[in-house]
Amino acid sequence: MKRFLAWWTEERRAYLLLVLPGVLVYWAVMAFPTVFSLGLSLTNYNGGVIFGNPNIQFVGLKHYLRMFEDRYFWISLKNNGLIMAISVFGQIPLGFLFAYVIHRKLIKFGDFFQTIIYLPCVISTIVVGRLWQSFFSPYGPFTKFMQRFQPGWENELAYDPQRAIIPVLFVILWMYTGTYMIIFLANLQKIDPSLIEAARIDGATEWQVLTKIILPALSGVIVTACILAISGSLKSFDLVYAMTGGNPARRTSVLALYMYDTAFRHSPNYPLANSISVFMVLVSFALIVLVRVTEARFGGREE
Amino acid sequence: MRNTNRIKKTDFHPLLRIFVYVMVAIFTVLALYPLYWLFISSLKTNTEFQLNITGWPWNPTFQNYPTAWRLAQFDTLFVNSIFFTTLSTLLVILFSMMAGFAFAKIRSKATPFLHGSFVIGILLTLQSIMVPLFLMAVATDLYNTRLGVLIPYVGMGMPMGIYLCTEFIKSIPDSVVESARIDGASYLRIFASIVAPMAKPVGVTLAILNVSGVWNEFMLVNILVSSDALRTLPVGILKFSGPLASDHGRQFAALTIGLVPMVIFYLFFRKQITEGVSAGAVKG
Repeated sequence: MKRFLAWWTEERRAYLLLVLPGVLVYWAVMAFPTVFSLGLSLTNYNGGVIFGNPNIQFVGLKHYLRMFEDRYFWISLKNNGLIMAISVFGQIPLGFLFAYVIHRKLIKFGDFFQTIIYLPCVISTIVVGRLWQSFFSPYGPFTKFMQRFQPGWENELAYDPQRAIIPVLFVILWMYTGTYMIIFLANLQKIDPSLIEAARIDGATEWQVLTKIILPALSGVIVTACILAISGSLKSFDLVYAMTGGNPARRTSVLALYMYDTAFRHSPNYPLANSISVFMVLVSFALIVLVRVTEARFGGREE
Repeated sequence: MRNTNRIKKTDFHPLLRIFVYVMVAIFTVLALYPLYWLFISSLKTNTEFQLNITGWPWNPTFQNYPTAWRLAQFDTLFVNSIFFTTLSTLLVILFSMMAGFAFAKIRSKATPFLHGSFVIGILLTLQSIMVPLFLMAVATDLYNTRLGVLIPYVGMGMPMGIYLCTEFIKSIPDSVVESARIDGASYLRIFASIVAPMAKPVGVTLAILNVSGVWNEFMLVNILVSSDALRTLPVGILKFSGPLASDHGRQFAALTIGLVPMVIFYLFFRKQITEGVSAGAVKG
């Protein structure tokens, strides 16, 4: 008891008191469910009492195998891959281009363009999804625009299983390019302007400034942006849900929507849904490690 | 300072300049036109909407708005959205500052483990925990309750909050805390009267991130709530103007109502929002 009291100092009490609320809430709603999800994915639990339920059995990787056999899993995975591609190869380069020309004042009204390009990011994804769904629908301006060039053009985007994902990809590019622009802009501002100025006085061209000073200085941020883009594209749900609902015939589904459908539509299949979520977490960790390793190997200098 | 950044025009190829302007112009038009189209469509009757797709309304009318407001129960939606956003933001800031202070300024062997668990959380997403959260809410009778939505919102805001607060409070000199200790102040006292006021800037960043995150959040409420009385704006708007809606004028009025608050918020706090976003984009 004496030893406990000696240990139980004001410092320790304060630490506990300060840390406890945050830790408790976070562990309860994030850390625990992640582990719980992994556990459930290995059993046959599908609703009802969790604790002391004699029917719950350990079934190993059965649900994962089933997931890999499901064609909708592969369709969803492919769409996530497309979203990832448009994020990494569309949003990031475009975001960088905008940030660069605005920061270096290569265009006028940079502040205005910055405000407008970021605007879509602040609007609720649900509103964006519904708005663009109407925009691309047969009664929307897109159809009218196309008919101006091709009279009698029929808008089948919403029914064509092959092409229905295109509007979704477009909206994703439209919506999030601004985020990367903002991130790059903030980091461009950290580069010492006198460094660039000195290079310019020594006769460096704009191209040399870009490739020899700015890109090396931003290499760390570009990696961060890639990680954000990858984890962001695995997360995509709201937009697809509001825009297409995964249709036609679930061809525009993504992993999160596939999981949602599995868990909450028709007859629920919680173990399978948990397998999907564990798979998503693993893929996102794996890709992030991959980006880090690539960076370390071919590595740009850290800022 | 600003002028040193300007470059000689001769250096920048005219074709490249045109290309850049075209790209920027396309994005500007694409950002503004849909919003404009949404607004003018909300001023049309259903019949007109089908005949006059892109034109200015023949007889602009605002009558879609009161109807949409009433049918979609916007009163309730706004009250709920404001409730969840405000309360979760306040709690996230408070808890993050408290824990961030402890992690940054009080030595403990538990810190690497606890702090590490939050950093991993930055990578976790709602998607990866949505099924267990739902099952837990049902098991604890928190399904369809305010508390059942609020707690996950606070928990989801913690990783970023802890990360930003710890980093920020670390940058406060140790001597500030030490001299207060010598004067006999307890840690809680130091937190309340010295650290928390000093950490105000990070509080603002956190508030911006959390407000825009929770205000627009859809899925959590969609899963954890089925009663009309607890719905938030995104969920209510999707229900009202979802794929089954055929009443276009009202649908567009509802979308406009949903869009306006965030746009105003953005125009007012543009600088803080962009700063918050870049601060939030931490190294993964």
